Amino acid sequence: MTPTFYEVMRQQGITRRSFLKFCSLTAASLGLGAGGATKIAHALETKPRVPVVWLHGLECTCCTESFIRSAHPLASDLVLSMLSLDYDDTIMAAAGHQAEAALEDTITRYKGKYILAVEGNPPLGDDGVFCIPGGRPFVDKLRRVAKDAAAVVAWGSCASWGCVQAARPNPTKATPIHQVIDNPVVKVPGCPPIAEVMTGVVTYIVTFGRLPELDRQGRPKMFYSQRIHDKCYRRPHFDAGQFVEAWDDRGAREGYCLYKMGCKGPTTYNACSTVRWNEGVSFPIGSGHGCIGCSEDGFWDKGSFYDRLTNIKEFGIEANADRVGATVAIVAGAAVAAHAAVTAIKRARSAKSNEKVEK
Amino acid sequence: MAVIETQGFRLDNSGRRIVVDPITRIEGHLRIEVNVDAKNVITNAVSTGTMWRGLEVILKGRDPRDAWAFTERICGVCTGVHAIASVRAVEDAIGIKIPDNANIIRNLMHATLYAQDHLVHFYHLHALDWVDVVSALNADPRRTSELAQSISAWPHSSIGYYRDLQSRLKRFVESGQLGPFKNGYWGHPGYKLPPEANLMAIGHYLEALDFQREIVKIQTIFGGKNPHPNWLVGGVPSPIDLDSPGAINMERLNMVARIIGETIAFIDQVYIPDLLAIASFYKDWAKWGGGIASQNVLAYGEFPDIANDDSNKSLLMPRGAILNGNLKEVQPVDLKDMNEIQEFVPHSWYKYADESKGLHPFDGVTEPEFVLGKNTKGTRTNIENVDESAKYSWVKTPRFRGQPMEVGPLARYVVAYAMGRPEFKEPVDMVLKKLDVPLPALFSTLGRTAARGLECSWAAHKMKYFYDKLIANIKAGQLATANVDNWEPRTWPAECKGVGYCEAPRGALGHWIRIKNAKIDNYQCIVPTTWNAGPRDGKSQIGPYEAALMNTPMAKPDEPLEVLRTIHSFDPCLACATHVISPEGKRIATVQVR
Amino acid sequence: MATEMTGREPVYVWEAPVRLWHWVMALAMVVLAVTGYFIASPLPSTPGEASDNYLLGYIRFAHFAAAYVFTIFLLVRIYWVFAGNKFAREIFAVPRSMLKPSWWGGLIDQGLYYAFLKKEARSYQGHNPLAQAAMFFMYLLGSLFMIVTGFALYGEGTGMGSWQYKLFSSWVIPLFGQSQDVHTWHHLGMWYLILFTIIHVYIVVREDISSRETVISTMVNGWRVPKP
Repeated sequence: MTPTFYEVMRQQGITRRSFLKFCSLTAASLGLGAGGATKIAHALETKPRVPVVWLHGLECTCCTESFIRSAHPLASDLVLSMLSLDYDDTIMAAAGHQAEAALEDTITRYKGKYILAVEGNPPLGDDGVFCIPGGRPFVDKLRRVAKDAAAVVAWGSCASWGCVQAARPNPTKATPIHQVIDNPVVKVPGCPPIAEVMTGVVTYIVTFGRLPELDRQGRPKMFYSQRIHDKCYRRPHFDAGQFVEAWDDRGAREGYCLYKMGCKGPTTYNACSTVRWNEGVSFPIGSGHGCIGCSEDGFWDKGSFYDRLTNIKEFGIEANADRVGATVAIVAGAAVAAHAAVTAIKRARSAKSNEKVEK
Repeated sequence: MAVIETQGFRLDNSGRRIVVDPITRIEGHLRIEVNVDAKNVITNAVSTGTMWRGLEVILKGRDPRDAWAFTERICGVCTGVHAIASVRAVEDAIGIKIPDNANIIRNLMHATLYAQDHLVHFYHLHALDWVDVVSALNADPRRTSELAQSISAWPHSSIGYYRDLQSRLKRFVESGQLGPFKNGYWGHPGYKLPPEANLMAIGHYLEALDFQREIVKIQTIFGGKNPHPNWLVGGVPSPIDLDSPGAINMERLNMVARIIGETIAFIDQVYIPDLLAIASFYKDWAKWGGGIASQNVLAYGEFPDIANDDSNKSLLMPRGAILNGNLKEVQPVDLKDMNEIQEFVPHSWYKYADESKGLHPFDGVTEPEFVLGKNTKGTRTNIENVDESAKYSWVKTPRFRGQPMEVGPLARYVVAYAMGRPEFKEPVDMVLKKLDVPLPALFSTLGRTAARGLECSWAAHKMKYFYDKLIANIKAGQLATANVDNWEPRTWPAECKGVGYCEAPRGALGHWIRIKNAKIDNYQCIVPTTWNAGPRDGKSQIGPYEAALMNTPMAKPDEPLEVLRTIHSFDPCLACATHVISPEGKRIATVQVR
Repeated sequence: MATEMTGREPVYVWEAPVRLWHWVMALAMVVLAVTGYFIASPLPSTPGEASDNYLLGYIRFAHFAAAYVFTIFLLVRIYWVFAGNKFAREIFAVPRSMLKPSWWGGLIDQGLYYAFLKKEARSYQGHNPLAQAAMFFMYLLGSLFMIVTGFALYGEGTGMGSWQYKLFSSWVIPLFGQSQDVHTWHHLGMWYLILFTIIHVYIVVREDISSRETVISTMVNGWRVPKP
């Protein structure tokens, strides 16, 4: 009989008291309130640890690094007590054949019961040779492991949208995972996602035995239903019309709004301004740099991170809405002036000819 | 393949071929293939980078001020190093001078990364090569406590602490769900630690995992998040104003000070004593894994004490190269000299017009071409053995004056040691004395791992130094953190080029940029793992990884613990180095960002 | 359909609701364009405490208020398509009119006239076919685009539970890719309507001077009167 999560935690020297504290912290971070804590506690007391397979495609490992920054729950508790992280090439002890054997064992023994977490994405260009761990294209491994997964979580913007390697011209044809597998995918975008957002999503699935409520694009509503701008502590300065106009100016030191420095907070759905980063220490805007929109689809290709108006690729690399619009308006104005001039000349001529006729 | 003699090594691929892919506990995807002779001694080693993301291609035509964000995403483990190299490259090209405070804050953030990254590498990526988790079940908690207390004043060392830890471990193992410890090489004859030392190390593995997230909060304070904090061409984004709630103020500075104190304590009381204790059981490893470390090492230098000055007068960690093992003469390094640093591709999956020649990164070309040699076993999409006589890695082959070079903590320590810098020389001499081994012991797997530990402690103390400097500046009324004179592209020259250096935790990193009409015209990176993991060159000279594996005896070739030990001692970062595919061969992938 | 002038008698073309709608719409568009421009490119910062200032807040309020007026008047106007006279239907009926060859003939004629290839244009009681097409494709579709994208952006602020989010944001934002793209296209839409306005004002003034019937005063008093 597999021990339950609670049993394992207790066995590992965690007191009932800290277990309950963990439950209420988790409940709070999930926005579930006091009743939620009891439910979590109950769930964790009665379920065995869920096997997790964590695959890496084209990526930079920032998601893993973020994950181990989690403060509640601690990554060590999560990995040792809440989940059974049976395959993750970044931290596992085994390598080579032994590592691959661990993977096969997990997906066979826990068929239909394991969670697949994917960091990075498969490149589809040139038969997938741009990512060939184990000598074979990553996309094949991804499809094989996804086939019998109970749930699939896409970590970060790579797995969710494509991220930096998929920025134009996407030389390797890096492709978000939902386009190559059939499973429903929980997208947890960000470059990387916030640690507590990552562990919050996993804990939710493990605790309640179902996927969290998702928005139309597959992101958990509990973390991605509001823009950073909506909850930004600098929002009053936005409404007041008080902006940082240049780096390190008076406004920057006062903590004015970074809108004019290209901040993408108004168009970015993420929990940075609420959960914040690294146990709530700060978030990009809080440390003086605008949001670069790293949890949004295609954020690399919207022009400079420091521009307010973004590029419109349909009109060439350099065009933004105001340039296109002003050009069209000027051309139209000139055309109108020219047309009016021709009209006036024609009228004058016809008036003359009329006069002649009358004479 | 015939037997090849190079650099004092005899490469013979006639014996049994062992493939280790994936190499785990690294960043990115790496494949190692070795041949062993009848006595299971490695006679041929092939390192292959198995991924390529093509960032060089993606960067073309972009705003140079955005480049730091793109290149930062090359690697999320040594997060920020590419950003530093990138902003330095752009500033060098345009001629931007950053304020003193910006220099100090960058140094502080960078030293923070050194402390955290080295700590995580030692405990979470490297320790399981030396520590047998299962053996810890047989430890006596009392003797473990005595051992811990005999080597350090670290307070978490009571009998009860280790008894609880052991019972937690026991239940974990008995649950049958071993998670990341599943299929480890437990019981392998290569593990030499007594059960008590194993138990102590596991306790610190968990403590370090919890503590490392504290260290990076310094990056969060100045950069807004970690991993991937924010940077700025011309300075740093976080303003300083003691009298404002919207900037770096006393509360923020206090948090920085507190974390620095805790970091120094953890590294000096946990990491360093553990390192020395474990090393004392593995002195054998002072004989193996040296590779070319005793011959050729390279460091670009780091931590400029004077803003905008990258001479050795300013660099707290010096720049220089050692060639042919001549420690008496440290060679100068010029990143802009078109003949010094060059990249070759005869064994990499890229195409040059003339592959017998190398290209300086200013003129670098990155055009992928995936072809396998005729001796490859398997197919294009199912490679069993690579053919190292042909192209076999996504990593390019960088050379310094035509020579392969090792980079990283050991290289930095060797260069600084040769220059007689006391901050580096004295700790090295202390460790050699403590372990009772001679200087050449440094050029080994053990030496590499020890240098990283010493450097981690050095960096932690430098955090304090930079913090004190920042406070002194603020006291003197210096608050500027950004120079915006050349922020607007219209103030830039129509064409310019620059280089950005950085010593990443893993070694020398360079970014070379050409800017034309305010857009990136060409961008190339040569990253530490390119130097270390790169494949052979046209003269069959082998790089650091391949050389380091040579002549190492393996106890059980099917459980390649020895390969992991040496490769991990380099702390590979393949996302950085990758232009890759994974065939079998001896080369590792280099990453190039153009 | 387009109705040609048949005699030299004045015709009551634009009923009061249509006239009112026209002028309110014009005013709303001016407010929306000006405030919209300053939302994208805000004025220089105002000094002082945030709590003492609300400049961008007021600008955004004016934008949203004008947007509601714009939308509601368009809805009322759509009601008037059914309740009003035949001229009230003209610009909405373009897709149906396009089925008739005579409409295309009028369109071509009018085009030739503006290209100075034809001396005289036909006289119409309401809009000529070319004007109808412009009204439909530029003004009407442009306005609907702005309303849909505008409410999608507005719904982002009111949140996932709001009707604006459910009706608009929930599908518009994924359709465009992300919020940033919707902002960009909404901004471009402003320029599209400015383009329409330039053409509209010019043609109206020109026609008022050169055609045989009143034009500008018609939108004031409703009567199209042949000039003496």
